[in-house]
Formats: sequence, C-alpha cells, structure tokens
Amino acid sequence: MILLQSHSRFLLQTLLNRVQNLEKAVELDYHWVEFNDVRYHMLVSMKNPNIVLLSVSLPTPPPEVVFMSGLPFGAVEAIKAAYGVAVQILDPPRDGFNLTLKLNLAKLPPNEEHRYALLVKIASVREVVLGAPLRVVLKHLVSRTIVPASDQVLALVHRPKESFFLVSKPDKVTVVFPMRFKDSIDTAFATSFLQEFVEARHTAGLNNAPPCLWSPTPPLELKEAPAEALSANAGFVSFVIFPRHVEGKKLDRTVWNLSTFHAYVSYHVKCSEGFMHTRMRRRVESLIQALDRAKPGGEEKKKSPSSRSFKRLSLKDARANSIS
Amino acid sequence: MDATSRPAVVIDNGSGYTKMGFAGNVEPCFILPSVVAVNESFLNQSRAPSSKANWLAQHSAGVMADLDFFIGDEALAKSRSSNTYNLSYPIKHGQVDNWDAMERYWQQCIFNYLRCDPEDHYFLLTESPLTAPESREYTGEIMFETFNVPGLYIAVNSVLALAAGYTTSKCEMTGVVVDAGDGATYVVPVADGYVIGSSIKSIPIAGKDVTLFIQQLMRERGENVPQEDSFEVARKAKEMHCYTCSDIVKEFNKHDKEPAKYIKQWRGIKPKTGAPYSCDIGYERFLGPEVFFNPEIYSSDFSTPLPAVIDKCIQSAPIDTRRALYKNIVLSGGSTMFKDFGRRLQRDLKKIVDTRVLASEARLGGEIKSQPVEVNVVSHPIQRFAVWFGGSVLASTPEFFAACHTKAEYEEYGASICRTNPVFKGMY
Repeated sequence: MILLQSHSRFLLQTLLNRVQNLEKAVELDYHWVEFNDVRYHMLVSMKNPNIVLLSVSLPTPPPEVVFMSGLPFGAVEAIKAAYGVAVQILDPPRDGFNLTLKLNLAKLPPNEEHRYALLVKIASVREVVLGAPLRVVLKHLVSRTIVPASDQVLALVHRPKESFFLVSKPDKVTVVFPMRFKDSIDTAFATSFLQEFVEARHTAGLNNAPPCLWSPTPPLELKEAPAEALSANAGFVSFVIFPRHVEGKKLDRTVWNLSTFHAYVSYHVKCSEGFMHTRMRRRVESLIQALDRAKPGGEEKKKSPSSRSFKRLSLKDARANSIS
Repeated sequence: MDATSRPAVVIDNGSGYTKMGFAGNVEPCFILPSVVAVNESFLNQSRAPSSKANWLAQHSAGVMADLDFFIGDEALAKSRSSNTYNLSYPIKHGQVDNWDAMERYWQQCIFNYLRCDPEDHYFLLTESPLTAPESREYTGEIMFETFNVPGLYIAVNSVLALAAGYTTSKCEMTGVVVDAGDGATYVVPVADGYVIGSSIKSIPIAGKDVTLFIQQLMRERGENVPQEDSFEVARKAKEMHCYTCSDIVKEFNKHDKEPAKYIKQWRGIKPKTGAPYSCDIGYERFLGPEVFFNPEIYSSDFSTPLPAVIDKCIQSAPIDTRRALYKNIVLSGGSTMFKDFGRRLQRDLKKIVDTRVLASEARLGGEIKSQPVEVNVVSHPIQRFAVWFGGSVLASTPEFFAACHTKAEYEEYGASICRTNPVFKGMY
C-alpha cells in the first residue's frame, strides 16, 4: 500500500454487511477512531433496522480556522450533493460529535453498482466533510476565479490544532503544509523524506505532477499568518496546483491526497523505520552467525539441553528454542 | 488531546486468525487470517554485481518491494492469482516466528485496516503463556521504536479469556482456560489473575490438526477434491459442518441408517480448470473434533485425551485452588466452537473426577464422605474472539492506562521493561 484509501474500511464493511442482511434486525453500537483524530460512532437499533445513525467528530480546529456551526464551510452543501435522499443531517448532532448523519438503507439505489458506489461514498465521509473547503477553492480554480469573500491566505484544519494554508490566485493555488512531528527520530526521517520527495519530482516521468518545494523556513506567501501556526520542526512543503490537476475526475483524488498529506508522510516515515529495523535485524543475525562460526566447539554445545533456558538468545536461537 | 482519552487499540494475534479493534466495542473490527504475502522477486537479484545505474534501479525497486505486500484475505487472493508473492505465516504454534513478517503485518493492521495513527493510541497485544521474555522484548522494540506508541500492554491471552466473562456474570479471575486455537492448544490455570506457570499443559493438537485429519479422511475415502484445494475444503468443512458427538459407535450407526440426513454436500470450482465439482462430507463431521478426545486416532505419539490433560493440570495446581479451578473451566479459541464441545468436555471430566472421588472413599472405608466436586465448563457465545473481548473490556477500564508501559519508561530503561507485565489492580 502506497497511498491511503479515501474510505474507511471498517465503515464500508459494516454497511455492506448491513445492506446484505437487511431483514435481520441487529443492534450495533461501534466506536472507532481514525488518523488525525477523526472519531466515528455508528448506531443501529433493533426497532429501526433500516436506519443507521453515523456520527463523526472532526479534529479540533486551531484559532486561525473558522468552523461554521461545528463544520468546515461548504460541508453541508457537499454532503447534500454527494449523498442525495438516502442521507439526512440531524441537527443538533450527537453530544461530542460535529455531525450526525441519518442513513436510510431502504432508500439506497436498487442498482447493485450504484448502491456500492454510494456506500463507498458514505464510507469516505471524512473526505466529503473535511475536504469540502478545499474542494470549493479548487473548483473555483477550474473556472479560473477566486473564492469570493476570502482573504488571501486561507487556513484549513487537517490535524488536531494544526492547519495547512491555501493561497489562491486565478490561475493557481499554492498549498503550504507546516510539517510537525512529535518524535525527534521521526522529524529527522521526515525531513530527509521530504527532501527526497522534492527531488523525485524532478525525474523525467513526473513532469506533469504539481511542482513542490520544501524549505526549513516559512515561505513568503505565509507572512501574514499567525506566528504560532508557523512553528514547524520538519519544515514547510508547498505544492502549486494548476487547473489541469483538478479537471473532471481528478478533483476528488487531489482533494483527498492533499487533505491527508501529513498522514501520508507519517505513514511512510513509519514504513522506513520498519525497513531500517528489518535491515538491522538481518545484520545482527549475520554478525551472530559470524560469531558462532568463530566459537570453538560451538556446534556440540547447541545440542545440549541446557541451552533451552531463558538466557539472552539470538533471534535464530529463540526461534529454534521456541516450543517445538 | 491526550492518548488516554482515546480508546486503546486491541490486537490479538493468533496463529490462525488475528482479531483487532478498538477497546470498548463488543466485537473486533476485523478478523483476518494471520498471513502475509510478500513480493520477494527483488531480493535474490540484489546480490549480483552491477553498475551504479543498475544498482539504483534495483534499489528503488527494492524500496518499493518493501511496500509491496498484502495481509489477510487479500494475501491469500494475491498468492492464488500470481506467483510473485510468497505466503509467510508470521506466527507458528502461538509464537512469533518471523519478526519481519510480523512487523509488516502490524503495519498493515494499523495503517490500512484500523487506519489509526499509532502515536494516538495505547496498545494492548496478547501473547501465549509460554512466550519467552525475549519475544516480549522484540514486540516492545517494534511497537515503541517503529510505531512510536505512547503505551503498551502485553497481556497473557488466557487471562483475557477469563476476563471476557467479567461483564456477563460476576468478576471471577480464577479458573482454567482451555485455549484451542489454530496452531496451539493450552490448558492454563489462573488463580486471582495470576497464571500458575508450573501447571500449564500444552497439547500438540489444535485446529490445524483437525483440518489435516479431515483432509486425510477425505483423501483416503477418495473424494473428488482437487489436490491444491483440499486443505481449504477441509477447513471450510470443519468450520461449517463439524460437531462433537457423545458416542462414536452410535454416531456411526446414525450416519449409516440415515445418510441423507447426516451427509453434507460440498460444491466447489476447480481453481485451475474452472470446472465445478462436488464431494461428500460424512463421518469426518464428528471424527474431526474427536481428535481432542481420542488423539490416538490421529497421531501415534500423543494419546492423552483433552479431559485427562485438564484433570492432570488441575491436580498439579496448588491444593487450595483446585475446587475453584474445577468450577470455572473456560473455553476460548476457534477450535472450541464445535457444537456440544463444552458439554462433552464437562461429561468426560466429571467422569474422571467422580471415579477418583469414589476410589478415595473406598480407600477410606466409607467413613468420611467428601463434598462432591463441582465441575463446570463455561462456554460463551463469543468464544471465537473471547480473548479479544477480554482485552477490550480490560483496556476500557481506567486502571489499564496506569498498568501500561509508557514510551517514557521505554526510553529510560529500554526494552527490558516489557519482560514483566503488572496484573491489573482491582480487576479481581
């Protein structure tokens, strides 16, 4: 897996399961949390097995981001446009959540394919809600206009108390991510990962990709932004999005990839750490092998039963000595 | 926002299936086969001497190959459809066997299935009671170093299985857990939440052996099953049709009298040619689970039936715990899901216990009557993921976060903190 999928696997699985066994009434009450502190709660009662109540809570916005009645701007319209009649927004939402949707499974399209597509769309509710403002801006880019009544720099929340910034011009939108990591090793990994990332943009195959830049200091576009939003220990990444990147079907992908860019980097930082560990383990194993070869009379000793005790073992020994 | 305010992630890695989800729910989010399909086609080439450009190409291919793997059902599907992927089972007989595969498995569990940020959640993992402390250290290293988890608790799966009964009745942390999974079967006595280590018994017969036995029976009868599919068919037959009988001879008679009622049909499609086939599932429906009660029909080197092993286990436990142990024998793991498994176990065990009581009364000349011993085998509907459920219950108590090893402790003392795990206070 290289990119994160836009739908929540568990939500899609549960919904599909529910749709297939509609006549069987069951009680469901699930809580779960996704990356960037998006919480879900799903409720199905015995009385109305067709009705699914899905609540979503979004990451807490930092002061520079404005939420309108608990949701990013454009979210309500985006939900209505994406889901149609099958989904209703409940007002007020459940306690502790930003949004509660009432899904009526009886109103899903009868066509198998359309129904699946709609369920996938419902499962990607975080993309629809959190990506709504970004989608509005990028849609204006397609028609080469600027969002009316917005100042030059627009801040959007993507992680708890953290935001990224959009600077829109009629012919391009610059997206700037301040990258922050908690762990010092992660920070080091992320910094070099991002530099490689910018480097990779220059290879021949990626000429059409959005230009991207990394700098350890805030770029000039952000000079008006509040100071506390500009402290980032892994530098700043900026992408320049042109209209050709958001035409037609590309829009959804672009919105999703941009709004989860931090999660993408952090996933790959973890993967590289895992890769390093794999290599370190292999190295240790080969060194232990070399040591074992150098030991005089090591061969006979291995077979004696006394070596089956809990002393510090090498990986290979531990494997051989685990219950056979 | 603090990690303790979010639900902990509970992952129970078994040799057959992995159960994962968030604490506080009644069901795991996903139950997946514990298998990884790795693309290893790049590994062998990397040794060949080559020019720098070639090295770079291979290097980047290798880096991508590092991400090119699948877990669970996707892995099984991939390995069937193409031969660039090799299946590897990271856990064998309840012990982690391949740490590289295990790390990848966890990585996918966390990022692709649960889709959570490991830095945001405390983690509860499970291990078998006989796991070596080294392996616990490796687990801790991977969790803290690679995934940066804020806190980790490694629980013994049998204690969790006991805790699963926590909400259904009163909290009872004394009992014997019969944990029959896919790769290992353990009988573990637990007193007040502490595992009595010296009395743990393990049996070399588990779910996989039942499957192998069914496969063997079907092959010997000459059922029309393609070779490459026979293990899968046997597994499906086991999961869907097997049950425990009370008496083999009677059961054979029943099958012979009314074959139409007892013999099930299996229909499948040959994977290579796509031609449909069908086969019968007959005696193996009750002979499969019988392996636990009469092991001599399956293996020649192990012949102690499961009830006798449980009895031996309880008899070797401290004398003041034995009555309590007989009273609470808890089943857990997928291989205890056969119909009437618990009832048969209780009957056989009761027989052994009663014989012993009678013998001792006869020895004493009938002067002293002992109190009858209560034997009680508890089975609950969530037996299949009882361990996970127990973990979910424990991890949603406020004591859990205090019992965890934290990242700060790990950085201060190193992986050795994972060698021991405190038992929850106030849980028993």
